[in-house]
Amino acid sequence: MKRKLLGIIDATTYHDDLEELLIHRSLAALPFAGRYRIIDFVLSNMVNSGIRSVAIFPKMQYRSLMDHLGSGKNWDLNRKRDGLFFFPSPVVDSNPNRVGSFDLFAANMDYFYRSTQEYAIISNCYTIINMDYKPILEWHHDMHCDITEIHHRDGRSMEMYLIKTSLLIKLIQSRNETGYTCMRDVVQDLHNEYTICRYDYDDYAVMVDSIVSYYDASLNLLKPDVWGNLFVKGQPILTKVKDEPPTKYEKGSLVKNSMIANGCVINGTVENSIISRGVKIGKGAIIKNCIVMQKCQIEEGVHLDTVILDKDVRVEAGTRLSGTVQLPFVVRKGTKQGALMNS
Amino acid sequence: MGKKKCVAMLLAGGKGSRLNALTKDLAKPAVPFGGKYRIIDFTLSNCANSGIDTVGVLTQYQPLLLNSYIGIGSAWDLDRKNGGVTVLPPYSESSEVKWYTGTASAIYQNLNYLKQYQPDYVLILSGDHIYKMNYETMLEYHIEKRADVTISLIEVPWAEASRFGIMNTNEDMRIIEFEEKPVSPKNNLASMGIYIFSWNILKEYLEMDARNPDSSHDFGKDVIPSLLDDKKKLFAYPFKGYWKDVGTVQSLWEANMDLLKEECELNLFDHDWRIYSVNPNRPPQYISPDAIVQESLINEGCTIEGKIEKSVLFQGVNVGRESRVKESVIMPDVTIGQNCFIEKAIVPFDVNIPDGTVIRSLDDEIVLVTKEMLSGLNPAY
Repeated sequence: MKRKLLGIIDATTYHDDLEELLIHRSLAALPFAGRYRIIDFVLSNMVNSGIRSVAIFPKMQYRSLMDHLGSGKNWDLNRKRDGLFFFPSPVVDSNPNRVGSFDLFAANMDYFYRSTQEYAIISNCYTIINMDYKPILEWHHDMHCDITEIHHRDGRSMEMYLIKTSLLIKLIQSRNETGYTCMRDVVQDLHNEYTICRYDYDDYAVMVDSIVSYYDASLNLLKPDVWGNLFVKGQPILTKVKDEPPTKYEKGSLVKNSMIANGCVINGTVENSIISRGVKIGKGAIIKNCIVMQKCQIEEGVHLDTVILDKDVRVEAGTRLSGTVQLPFVVRKGTKQGALMNS
Repeated sequence: MGKKKCVAMLLAGGKGSRLNALTKDLAKPAVPFGGKYRIIDFTLSNCANSGIDTVGVLTQYQPLLLNSYIGIGSAWDLDRKNGGVTVLPPYSESSEVKWYTGTASAIYQNLNYLKQYQPDYVLILSGDHIYKMNYETMLEYHIEKRADVTISLIEVPWAEASRFGIMNTNEDMRIIEFEEKPVSPKNNLASMGIYIFSWNILKEYLEMDARNPDSSHDFGKDVIPSLLDDKKKLFAYPFKGYWKDVGTVQSLWEANMDLLKEECELNLFDHDWRIYSVNPNRPPQYISPDAIVQESLINEGCTIEGKIEKSVLFQGVNVGRESRVKESVIMPDVTIGQNCFIEKAIVPFDVNIPDGTVIRSLDDEIVLVTKEMLSGLNPAY
């Protein structure tokens, strides 16, 4: 890549509506699509676009995120020069709904000073997307933009910004004089002195900001065009690998229209569902329209419809649970659901 | 280099000629197995799980893929500052290139590798076998018996005994006789090709063997018999559990089918003894609304639109609509078109099976599908 990019991911975002799934983890580390965490998409996009230096700004509950990213090896970011940088900022009180707080960046100015990359891309951590930043950077350059904001085809800002690193440093340094607290403030100021461009991205992208959007985005994966768009483009979505065996389909199992990760043992029926790694499904169990996260154990004869099971949930034999598309039934991480509890 | 109590030497140069086309371009230890693994994963994982962190891997036949697969050993947690995995290919000296002419000569030519670690014991392994075994327990047995050499053995069906090195022992498990691939075996206790040598004995006998112009430089044929002649203390270590030498297309297929049994002896789901492998990082498998999957093992990155029964599918396999795959092993990145029927077959890596292809065995022998075979069937291929 001729023009070099710095990758910056704001992982401080918190959405109240997702609270039940965010008790033990940050939004960036929310499991998605059976074996990924949400941040894998943006992070893999950056790596696939030739970015070799990525800074991640996490805030609360970042244990699971750090555990997931490790040294960055799975993204080939464990490098002698550049690589993956982690800048937790527990002292900075930033607005959790604004992407790219300048206060957060200011606490780690050395990273920006030391980086040699001419441009920077600032992104949120919760967009499900498989995009290549290279053509956008070329466009940004050719159009003589100062700041490019990437929008989705539906008109919504995707909270991704392209900017020269030197200008970013200037904006961070002058934040107290200008009153700009984040990139959004800059692009929304009608009187700013910069050339602001808007790039429309017209491929698949979903921003996960509520239980319903999480549920919809998950089940949308079962549509072959969405699936193909995210996973079959030559740019792989990378994630932390686990040593799970292939999934075993036992006699009498029935699986239709589902995405199944490795390490599962399936005896029952699974339809229109996303099943993560290491899930065990007992005989006669029926799982429909569900999202089942890692290592859940679903015993014999359980019926689940429109349910989200967080990690390590055990559903005891004979239990029936169901939710609605407007309100999927969410079971918290590590809990046990018994037949008597809901009868 | 720091001293190591026990160093493993893994013989991975096997050609596996009875696996036919499967081993045309790769060594037998690199042959895919079980939907995700290569055969060598089992021995490397056993080492990692047994706390053996120094492993020399001896390669010779078609080493390219094997070398890149092993890399620096990180998949098996064997990328270590002191020790770890070292691939040991044959090398040339001032006067000649020294190919590994036998199992013993392969180790002999790498005595310098072993000397760096000043080991007390050397564990010699073959990369051709599928089993889970704790080598640490075997080493404890070796030490307890004050043995010079310990050989692990397993009961094999009588009919197959002449394929193996057969051991006769006294009641104390001391080996009194060892016959390599006997025509008429006296018992059915076979050597698994796993030896623990005390270092001084190994060094002495390998040096002796190297000087012997009549030797074929093989552990089973030469070194073990001369140790027995000298009345050295050779002990048998009985192993119970799943063990398979997947030397033929038939046995490779059988070993894959073994994994589909409800009570499979080789438990791949045991978190206390994981089989590590280079993970391909593919998306989860997608099972379409019209697909049927029964009694099968399916790896990530597969897209299934047809019917799969009693089969093992590796990563990245696509099976089209109205196709049926039965009692077969489909290796990585194979594409099976629509309306195909495949029964009792092994389809190797990266083969494309065109729409409407029928592959079935006429004589109950397992079909090893090749690209040549398919181009004969379908001129357009």
